[in-house]
Amino acid sequence: MPLIGKASPEDLNIHSSQYQWARKLYDQAIANTWYPHEITLKEDLEDWSRMTDEEKHAVSFIMSFFNPAELIVNRVLALGVYPYLKAPECHLYLAKQMWEEANHCVAFEYVMETFPLDQAKLYHAHIETPSMQAKEEFVGQYLKRMTEDRYDVSSVEGRKDFVRNLVAYNIVMEGIWFYSGFMVMLSFRQRNLLRNFGSMINWVLRDESLHLKFGIHLILSILEENPDLLTAEFADEIRGIITRGVDLETTFNSDLFPNGILGLNADYVNQYVRYVADRRLEELGLGPYYNVTNPAKWMSSATDVYELVNFFESQNTNYEVNARAHKK
Amino acid sequence: MDIFVTKRDGGREPFNANRINQSIERVCFGLADPVGKVVQVGTDTRFMLYDGITTEELDQATINAALQNVPQDPEYEKIATRLLLKTLYKRILGDYETGEILLIKHREGFGRYIRFGVEAKILDARMVALFDLNKLSALMDMSRDDILTYAGLSTLEDRYMIKDKKLDSLELPQYFWMRVAMGLSYHEKNPVEAAIRFYDRMSRLEYVAGGSTNIGAGTTRPALSNCFLLEIHDDVEHIAKSVSDILKLSKASGGIGASITKLRASGSPLSSNNTTSSGPTPFAKIIDTAIRAIQRGGKKTGALCFYMENWHIDFPEYLTWKHNAGDDYMRMRTANTSVFLSDEFMKRVENREDWYMFDPKDTPDLNELYGEEFSNRYVEYVKMAEEGKLRVFKKMPAEEQFRQILVSLETTSHPWLTWKDTINLRALNNNTGTIHMSNLCTEICLPQNRDSIAVCNLASLNLATHLNPDGRDMDWKKLAETVHLAIRHLDNLIDINELPVPEAIKSDRENRAVGLGVMGLADVVEKLGFAYDSDEAYVFTDRVFEWISFHAIEESAALAQSRGSYTHFHGSGWSRGMVPVDTFANLEKQSRRAVKIDKGGTHAALDWKSLREKVRAGMRNATLLAVAPNANIGLVAGTTPGIDPRFAQMFSRSKISGKYLEINTNLVTDLKKAGIWEQVREKIVETQGDIEKIPEISADIKARYKSAFTVSPYAFIEVAARAQKWVDQALSRNMYLETRDIEEIMDIYMEAWRRGLKTTYYLHMKPRHTAEQSTIKVNKGKEMGKTGFSSVKWGAPSEAERSEGSSPVPEQNKPEPVASAPAPKVCPVDPQLRLQCDSCQ
Repeated sequence: MPLIGKASPEDLNIHSSQYQWARKLYDQAIANTWYPHEITLKEDLEDWSRMTDEEKHAVSFIMSFFNPAELIVNRVLALGVYPYLKAPECHLYLAKQMWEEANHCVAFEYVMETFPLDQAKLYHAHIETPSMQAKEEFVGQYLKRMTEDRYDVSSVEGRKDFVRNLVAYNIVMEGIWFYSGFMVMLSFRQRNLLRNFGSMINWVLRDESLHLKFGIHLILSILEENPDLLTAEFADEIRGIITRGVDLETTFNSDLFPNGILGLNADYVNQYVRYVADRRLEELGLGPYYNVTNPAKWMSSATDVYELVNFFESQNTNYEVNARAHKK
Repeated sequence: MDIFVTKRDGGREPFNANRINQSIERVCFGLADPVGKVVQVGTDTRFMLYDGITTEELDQATINAALQNVPQDPEYEKIATRLLLKTLYKRILGDYETGEILLIKHREGFGRYIRFGVEAKILDARMVALFDLNKLSALMDMSRDDILTYAGLSTLEDRYMIKDKKLDSLELPQYFWMRVAMGLSYHEKNPVEAAIRFYDRMSRLEYVAGGSTNIGAGTTRPALSNCFLLEIHDDVEHIAKSVSDILKLSKASGGIGASITKLRASGSPLSSNNTTSSGPTPFAKIIDTAIRAIQRGGKKTGALCFYMENWHIDFPEYLTWKHNAGDDYMRMRTANTSVFLSDEFMKRVENREDWYMFDPKDTPDLNELYGEEFSNRYVEYVKMAEEGKLRVFKKMPAEEQFRQILVSLETTSHPWLTWKDTINLRALNNNTGTIHMSNLCTEICLPQNRDSIAVCNLASLNLATHLNPDGRDMDWKKLAETVHLAIRHLDNLIDINELPVPEAIKSDRENRAVGLGVMGLADVVEKLGFAYDSDEAYVFTDRVFEWISFHAIEESAALAQSRGSYTHFHGSGWSRGMVPVDTFANLEKQSRRAVKIDKGGTHAALDWKSLREKVRAGMRNATLLAVAPNANIGLVAGTTPGIDPRFAQMFSRSKISGKYLEINTNLVTDLKKAGIWEQVREKIVETQGDIEKIPEISADIKARYKSAFTVSPYAFIEVAARAQKWVDQALSRNMYLETRDIEEIMDIYMEAWRRGLKTTYYLHMKPRHTAEQSTIKVNKGKEMGKTGFSSVKWGAPSEAERSEGSSPVPEQNKPEPVASAPAPKVCPVDPQLRLQCDSCQ
């Protein structure tokens, strides 16, 4: 069974499962289940009252982008990805991913409702801020093509559209924009601020790492199954989508850090965005484009090694919930 | 962008890169390649600034810049520590030009600080009245600041040093050590000399006081105890009083063990109004919420562990308390849970028999019984249940309940497993009543009752500072001296201690229970060249604990001669001339099982026989040893906490005072010696600190430097079992598992009981999935074995491309074509090049 194509009854036969990687990602995603109410924010509120205006702006600006962005991902999955994927194990994974996106949206809402913020303003920011609007429109334009009546997943152009859409929401939005946002949000944790919010970000990041794995698996498998897509022109176009995404993020970052805060400024974040973008390009088999180093060396302690949690000081974000009482 | 710095007085001045570089250079003395390090830290700092940054933030940026280079070379950590020290010196002592001036200011500052503290009513008036401050400040050795690590210093600053109203520290490291030392010497004949002796050992990190002592010693609120154990009785007055006690004890910065076994079951009749009880859960929820309200030491919320015996009919519900889903009113978000298991249960698991659960209202004596008496009474209740003589009971295969406990442990790290009979049958101190629970960290075993709340006072020896200069063996004599001094310190503490609840004061005064622990075991084992899971390490553990046990007992017996025995000495195991290692006989007889451990000693020089006679004559303290987890003071001492293995060769610690990257410097030293450090350092991050997977590293280094998840779990049991022979209370035995095979996990915990462990502590499961690494090269495409676009032939459009014709995407929706724009201008990465880069300078 090819990964993408028109729906047929045998798509519902889970037993013939051919894409084992998708099933494994589903199992892991189940084990990773968490809920926003596990996070308590009292201490973070005390940090919040001590933070500078520019620091508060950075956190709320990112949240006002992330909160609707999680729902945008869901819309893309529901309308642009799920209908054209044939493998039922992929459907399983997407169903869990969609729950996770909903959970993330609610998690950011939980924080936004708890912190002393102008909520109405924050929820509207993505409509009124041109740099956010541009990012949403960018993803929206690729999705729009997927939802048109004449869309045909079996044509070359249809399959290309499928990949374009995947690259826009998964590689650019989830794999670059979100990662940049995580770095900024985790930087507060590094300075011993917003620890519990940081624990929540750890969880979101753990989920998003799986989303990205799934997306990259999907893109690379589709390319493998559809060698007619492997043209220089299409490769160039895909690279262009990614570099366009980087440009949009650069504009966003100027609004995020009009001046800068301790340890972070727009240039710094831009370099991180380019560093991550190069990684995504390489993962797709495209060469690096920006050739920059990772400015956030401290991320080694934030995400790269195991974390030993003193559980009566911090939320343990390492647990997994799918223990088996009996062997399979 | 021009960067201006906002000065302390509000003025602005242009950022001066040269000045920053000079300040970094001044702290690089004694380090390899100082120039390279200055350039690296200087360049990274420049990248973190923004216009209007304050002077304090600039200092912090420089420290952070140094810290983020630690994975490249742990020496960067030294730079960060010294920079942090300098900011502390400047803040507390003002500007200084030279080291000599600093030394003078440091000496003068101490007396000023103590006098200010007394005037401000932060410090006890005796701190001035009893001490010659000039003499003490002359004896302080400022060079000992340099032995602290960054994590140690920032933990001291954040957690323990006394602060002013703006929350800035009033203390420097040596002031801190001296304040604690003085605060424990009020009742000594010569307080100055005593303080100097305590100061000397603490400031060299030979032992460190427990957290509460570090916070409270010398102050006007000397609540110096770490641990409290209380039980909640089955009536509403006592439940309400317990909530109040828990609030007060939490405020006094103690961790709490709270047994709720006596609370009647859900649905149990209430005689007062013919209604029924809601069971333990809703009452526990009140306490769970109450401890969140308390900010211990201004930083930590309260911390508590519930204890329940697993014959309670609501035990299955208890197992769900820590689950992350379900009714929030029935979940404990903050409190921990532990199960208190009897030998009767463990044997029923072994023999595949049924396990019965009762309403404690019907079986009130079970909670008080242990050993043979418990088993006999339990069997009687079973009989009554089967005969229909009990209102309610439940039964299930014992093995099934054991399995449920461990499934819960695997998914939620709770409940911790602790063993009632091993604790009670080996106890020397339960002549005043049954021990109903352990404490928050499962190292304390003290009896309590309605009139007394058990109290324990802690300090820990640092084994890592007791090696001989040649590093081949312990300096046993020095270790003995530290043990004697630390026991004296703990005994002094009790007469100075001020606790907020009368039942706790009573218990503290009458039992004088102390718990001296150990840290740095894994560190020392590595330094001696052993693996944590080797026979050499097991024998070493046995020897160290025998030595410590002997000397601790000797000191307490000597103190009893000069200061008198504790109130309840008569009738205790001690009063029969028994020492901890003599208690196995009672356990084995009553429990009818042989504890699988060699009970002999290995130090020929230790005369246990005559020590038993001294013990019979009197003991100053009801308990002496307890190995706490040392999560904070282990950081202060810069060594591995408690008896823990290395978590990983590189890992991060998530703490209230910050997130720290920890690298095993013993390993780095060995890798540098082998000449492969530069070659493998990135791979250590990549493998998340598990060097097993790095081909360049030799087998003998790999054997010595295993991580917590690659060491056999049976090694954790063996180390704890050897130590437990000699320790009269217990040990916080953290467990680490990679396996998720529940049968295997059941075997491991069954073995822990068979080998005589009294308790186990937190279970850390190895995560199967972690977030994408950031600083390490990651290519998921390659990991998947897929090539993506890399096979594209650049230049000619393919067949398919030509046949498809024009793109059907409407023009207005077409993604904007991206011109092959030149890569954006970015600053060079090479620090040398950056020095020439316009944007960087």
